[in-house]
Amino acid sequence: MAKPITSIKKYEASREEQIEKDFEEVKTAIADNKTAILKGIDLLKALEESETLDAATAFTYKRKEILANIVEEINRDMYTGILENIPEIVYLLGDLDLKTVRDVTSKLNQGMEEMNAAASSKEKTSVLDLAKALKDPEINRSITMLMNFLKGMGRN
Amino acid sequence: MIDRDHTVVTINGTEYLADPGQNLLDLINTTNEDVPQICYNESLGPIQTCDTCMVQVNGEIQRACGMKVEAGMRVQTKLPHVHKAQKEALDRVLEKHELYCTVCDYNNGDCEIHNTMADFGLDHQSRPFQPTSYNRDDSGSFYRYDPDQCILCGRCVEVCQDVQVNETLTIDWERQEPRVIWDNDVPIDQSSCVNCGQCSTVCPCNAMMEVGMEKEAGFITDQKPGILKSMIDLTKKVETGYGPLFAVSDSEAAMREERIEKTKTVCTYCGVGCSFDVWTKDREILKVEPHPESPANGISTCVKGKFGWDYVNSDDRLQKPLIRRGDTFEEVEWEEAIAYAVRRMNEIKAEKGADHLGFISSSKATNEESYLMQKISRQVIGTNNVDNCSRYCQAPATKGLFRTVGYGGDSGSIDDLAKSELVMTIGSNTAESHPVLASRIKRSQKLFGQKLFVFDLRKHEMAKRADRFFSPKSGTDLVWISAVTRYILDQGWEDKNFLNDWVNGFEDYRESLEPFTLEYAANMTGFSEEDLKDLAKEIVEAKTVSICWAMGVTQHMLGSDTSTAISNLLLITGNYGKPGTGAYPLRGHNNVQGCSDFGSQPDQFPGYESVTDEEVRKRYEEAWGVDLPKEIGMDNHEMIEAIHDGNLSMMYVIGEDTGIVDANINYVTAAFEKLDFFIVQDLFLTRTAEYADVVLPAAPSLEKEGTFTNTERRIQRLYKSFEPLQGTKPDWEILQDVAKEAGFDWKYESPSEIMDEAASLAPLFAGVTYDRLEGYNSLQWPVAEDGTDEPLLFVDRFPFEDGKARLYPLDFELMYDTTEEYDLHVNNGRLLEHFHEGNMTYRSAGISRKTPDSFVEVSEELAKERGIKEGARVKLISESGEATGTVTVTDRVKGKELFVPMNGTGKSAVNFLTDNRVDKDTDTPAYKEIAVKMKVLTKEGKSPIPVNNHRRGNPVPQMGVKVEEKWKRDDYEFPGSQVKR
Repeated sequence: MAKPITSIKKYEASREEQIEKDFEEVKTAIADNKTAILKGIDLLKALEESETLDAATAFTYKRKEILANIVEEINRDMYTGILENIPEIVYLLGDLDLKTVRDVTSKLNQGMEEMNAAASSKEKTSVLDLAKALKDPEINRSITMLMNFLKGMGRN
Repeated sequence: MIDRDHTVVTINGTEYLADPGQNLLDLINTTNEDVPQICYNESLGPIQTCDTCMVQVNGEIQRACGMKVEAGMRVQTKLPHVHKAQKEALDRVLEKHELYCTVCDYNNGDCEIHNTMADFGLDHQSRPFQPTSYNRDDSGSFYRYDPDQCILCGRCVEVCQDVQVNETLTIDWERQEPRVIWDNDVPIDQSSCVNCGQCSTVCPCNAMMEVGMEKEAGFITDQKPGILKSMIDLTKKVETGYGPLFAVSDSEAAMREERIEKTKTVCTYCGVGCSFDVWTKDREILKVEPHPESPANGISTCVKGKFGWDYVNSDDRLQKPLIRRGDTFEEVEWEEAIAYAVRRMNEIKAEKGADHLGFISSSKATNEESYLMQKISRQVIGTNNVDNCSRYCQAPATKGLFRTVGYGGDSGSIDDLAKSELVMTIGSNTAESHPVLASRIKRSQKLFGQKLFVFDLRKHEMAKRADRFFSPKSGTDLVWISAVTRYILDQGWEDKNFLNDWVNGFEDYRESLEPFTLEYAANMTGFSEEDLKDLAKEIVEAKTVSICWAMGVTQHMLGSDTSTAISNLLLITGNYGKPGTGAYPLRGHNNVQGCSDFGSQPDQFPGYESVTDEEVRKRYEEAWGVDLPKEIGMDNHEMIEAIHDGNLSMMYVIGEDTGIVDANINYVTAAFEKLDFFIVQDLFLTRTAEYADVVLPAAPSLEKEGTFTNTERRIQRLYKSFEPLQGTKPDWEILQDVAKEAGFDWKYESPSEIMDEAASLAPLFAGVTYDRLEGYNSLQWPVAEDGTDEPLLFVDRFPFEDGKARLYPLDFELMYDTTEEYDLHVNNGRLLEHFHEGNMTYRSAGISRKTPDSFVEVSEELAKERGIKEGARVKLISESGEATGTVTVTDRVKGKELFVPMNGTGKSAVNFLTDNRVDKDTDTPAYKEIAVKMKVLTKEGKSPIPVNNHRRGNPVPQMGVKVEEKWKRDDYEFPGSQVKR
């Protein structure tokens, strides 16, 4: 004679039982993933040693506020120029011929070395010296390069 | 190749062979040429609203989607001015749609606007985004509309008007700012929208989006509105070009893929068998996404399949096995519950014999689980007392088909119903009980000239749409069907060749029709003789006829005979074995077909082989290593009776709320009280479970693997979306644990092994394997060993020895009628939004908000006669019991007929009224034969239909989105003309 019933006596696992059970589950998971866990510990150690862990924790707790702060701040009009420039700079980088830039940079460096070496000398240069200097192949090459550069820059 | 015309089309200088009449854009999409397209969707066909698929055809710029191929057509897709026209159209789209992808919940890799712009290489917006002056519509529970993101492609309108055919959505092209509107411009929640969700499925962007996705799909989309706005602005500032924007948002979309699981499943509600991907984040369900390749439903769903999954995460789920101790259930560990259950089963078996135990499987369980339930019953216990809930609904249809054509399932597919010239539905509220299948019929009728004849007591939606609607006197369908058949024979209109070649038993059958004269039928049914003659003529004139029927036929004392009469009529007119023809007993539950298919029946093994067949039994005895019982067992109905008679002492019920869905529940629950031992396996503490001694907490479909078989005999796989809720197990694992405890170690590692075993034993499923059912693949039984299935039955033969069908003689006697005392007839059935008794759907807050309870439909005449109005409270009293309910006065019912939906719980449950009358051949309860008297408790009150229920809405039927009205606008210019050289 079973009458319909709806009351349920909940099974309350004692705290010890529950801990025991959860611990078993975690233990199995650790054993199954031993290598990953050990590597994870290394990672944590590295983060701790570099003092990144504290910062990352704090950041995670406050992520929504931080995101809101950043978004609101950089969305202000004063930054509009910078924001619009970011992609422009990206495109600029794409347009530059970096190989040439590197060549030119190395030449600039050589020039500066020479300049530094001569910096202490009290020598002065006369017009005649200039004309003579044009005969120096190194100076001549530089002047020619600069003149070509000026020509290119002025092109429409 | 003989039938195929050669239509050669040149695209960008290369020749392609097209199908005659093929859509040009379809053809282009099969080549390597890329043409942008946003509004075009293969499942919807051309809509022509977005203007992005501009191409040059024979020198003129045209919309590719608006063209049909013609021989010799020359098409250019890449010329500069063509490109310019495409770009113009895309720019117009972006004027209406703000791109803030990274903070958009729709940025999941499948946003069609995003992808089209990226593929086209559009690198910046030529014209600024222009918001509308409208607010977002957040009124609905299931999806919302954002006019500021809407590009007016009209896909939602197209799907609502011509695929779902609910006809709620339109675009008002005449306003200054056109937008999508609901009914005559009311909020979503107040409209006729049935929340099938298809508008949000087909929307190419985030304009029409499922509420479940909001703030959930993205990593940084869950922000306060102010911050979100700042983020959108920020995104736009950085986007001087779209390239970097797309790079960031694409990366974010890729990250989402890591977090959001998309798992294919099969719907767990009705028998249509819709399949779709479920998007989940841990246990949270974000949305349901059907696929064009979903075999039964394509892109369609109804409100339950699309949005009704809250029950899975309901707080009411049982999470520990329960054992009855005194007046309370105590939660126990699984080991204890299983050990206790098996010990008690063994004791009862030892004391009273195996036949004192009975097993009831569930139409919600998988095929594999049904197989294991009958295996427990037969192998472990040794009894054939195993049955399932098809006994409550469709067993009579199966009987009628086995008598005549040899297979108990739909003759063809839903595709056949769609292409049939004449569809007849008898006793089926198709639009509410099988909504997605009904939509296919509604579409064919609306767009392709299909005729629809509806036979029903109620003037429900299908009846209102029907070309002809007939409302017979309850329980007399057999008479008009037989009379029409006889009239066809009298006129010599039968399909003589078909009968000669394919049908036996003609003479006896013809003789049996003698009593069914037109006059007799007119008297019995209330149809006019003229109507019957017309009907015969229409049936004969239609090249293909399909007949759908449901519980309005089967749940009568002559349910099997009426089903047989339907099949007889189809045989006489030759409507079997051809595409677009056949018998369609629409199955009510997701797996009611499969549950019987896989052997949870007292008289049959899996695949409909008799338990009394020596050879078959031997096959199973060898496989299972035991002697099996030879006698046919008890069905559900007989089990309940046997309990009352002291011949059954234990029941094991899976996922079936017998105590609410069986007829005459007072009698059923009284039986439960008499059981020595009662095991119930369910998600919840159901009304049935309240009587149990042991309750085992099971896992629903989303938490397990397996297969379901839909009404088309289509076997489809479901995959696990997430792990079973802690403490619960899938039915197949529980059954395996029970068997093991009882000494039978089955050792199944997964459901696929169970299917392998069933396929190796049942010839009907010989070729069924999980590999062949991978993803959206499916098989429609019978499946031969090489994997060949039969979407359309009886093409080559009927499955009888000589390959011929059999006409089956019938007679008729009216056994039920209302009386002077019990003067009202109660009809009952499902509602669209609540499944069955509602124990799953009531757990959806959105559904309950719109449809909180059941009601009693009363005709205008009867309301007047009894002096009652909307909201009156009435008590209905039958010979078996009584139920109370709240009245809604409608024109759906007539005269002295009432309708009570099945989703009533508590005191309004309709099965308090039903009695022990059953179909004489299958013991299916005659749920549809209830006579009651009505006592008025209060004369009027609050309507049981809330103001936001779709039944109060005002649909606006039209053909599609009416793009011509867009083209007529003064501010519209065809992009092709704008760029003319």
